[in-house]
Amino acid sequence: MARQIVIPGDLVAEQALKIEHSYIDNGKTYAKVLGLLDTEKGTIVPLEGIWSPRIGDTVVGIVTGMRSTVYEVDLDFFGRSILIGSKYDRHTYKIGEVIEAEVKDVEDRKTIILTRPQSLFGGTILSVKPTKIPRVIGKANTMVQQIAAMTKSNIIVGNNGLVWMKGGDIGLATAAIRKIESEAHTQGLTEQIKMMLEKGTTNA
Amino acid sequence: MASKADKPELIIGNKRLDGRGFNDLRPLKVEASVLKNADGSAYVEWGNNKILAAVFGPKEAMPKHVQDPVKAIIKCKYSMAPFSSMGEHGRSGPNRRAIEISKVTREAFENVVMLNDYPGSEIDIFIEVLQSDGGTRAAGITAAAVALASAGIHMKDLIYAVSVGKIGEELVIDMNMIEDNYSDSDMPMAISPRNGDVLLLQMDGIMSKSEVKKGMAMVLEAGKAISKIQKDALNKVYSRGENGNGV
Repeated sequence: MARQIVIPGDLVAEQALKIEHSYIDNGKTYAKVLGLLDTEKGTIVPLEGIWSPRIGDTVVGIVTGMRSTVYEVDLDFFGRSILIGSKYDRHTYKIGEVIEAEVKDVEDRKTIILTRPQSLFGGTILSVKPTKIPRVIGKANTMVQQIAAMTKSNIIVGNNGLVWMKGGDIGLATAAIRKIESEAHTQGLTEQIKMMLEKGTTNA
Repeated sequence: MASKADKPELIIGNKRLDGRGFNDLRPLKVEASVLKNADGSAYVEWGNNKILAAVFGPKEAMPKHVQDPVKAIIKCKYSMAPFSSMGEHGRSGPNRRAIEISKVTREAFENVVMLNDYPGSEIDIFIEVLQSDGGTRAAGITAAAVALASAGIHMKDLIYAVSVGKIGEELVIDMNMIEDNYSDSDMPMAISPRNGDVLLLQMDGIMSKSEVKKGMAMVLEAGKAISKIQKDALNKVYSRGENGNGV
């Protein structure tokens, strides 16, 4: 795979192409973010930056306010995130409660509407760089499943950069996630993490 | 600014006081992502200038009444450390000069940052001059551009800035403090290298129309070297990702 680093203003294509994290000027396509350009697939993966919400993303957040049946949720994002309670759902959420939810809609790039909420009781929240989250999840959830299985923790990874963990060896799971975050662009990371976890669990 | 009676000889033979030619920049060193707590940061050493730039955001704009529902706002703070300069020049505190430089820097970046991608948010840029030797506003913009890129903020281009001045009949690029104090004219410029857009243009002293044109050409020529150093700094941080792996 041919990957190269692009910097804002770098020419990506001589034609006007619709690529995420790029813009079109004068019929040519330029990068608008510091990222990795895959020349074969024609995609740009940002190396730094904030979460860009998409419909269907799983998020972890904290309920920060409520008005009748509308809850405000803090997702560590600049915009507003709201959860509209269903009239058939008797469950009420308290301020300060941690929830897992799915992004139902994004309005004007800043208002996030959540759906399918689920309370998360207890546990710890870890903040991870949103650009490294795909690596923490791994291909088809392999990475997060591996960590969860070997540390016997419950782990829920939110695309917004918040990771919820409970039970098991949280210290080891945290160390593994921090390692993924700092070495997200190295090869054979799954094996490295596996070795680290095996070593960590036998020591304990 | 204006020529003084005790003006020193700034050009001896075809060389400037520090031995540079008219088109030579001072040695420039840029380092990206130097601060852990900032979202993006950069450190620039440009001759004797030492400048640190940090970027935070995009985050929710506070207080709420400054929010713009359709675009992000930029807040910029340029400040000189109390120990940064040799004389009393521009030292410390939010004085008239610091406020002006913060404003022109903000306006330069408002043209390249894609503000519409982050409605209702705020982006903070902090430029701290640790040691100054002339041309700090240009060096500050050069540093802040790298800091913004390393924060992953959407931008149209990685901009740079440099000053061009006039000593006697000669145009010189990237003046240092002594040249700046006794020169006939000083013109800092910020340029978007992709299409040559001028984002900042200020001038002290007098230059003729043809001199301004010639000065601009010198800035664009010197900018190629500055842009390359900026890009190399960013590449260096992430070069481990080049070998076909990454996310």
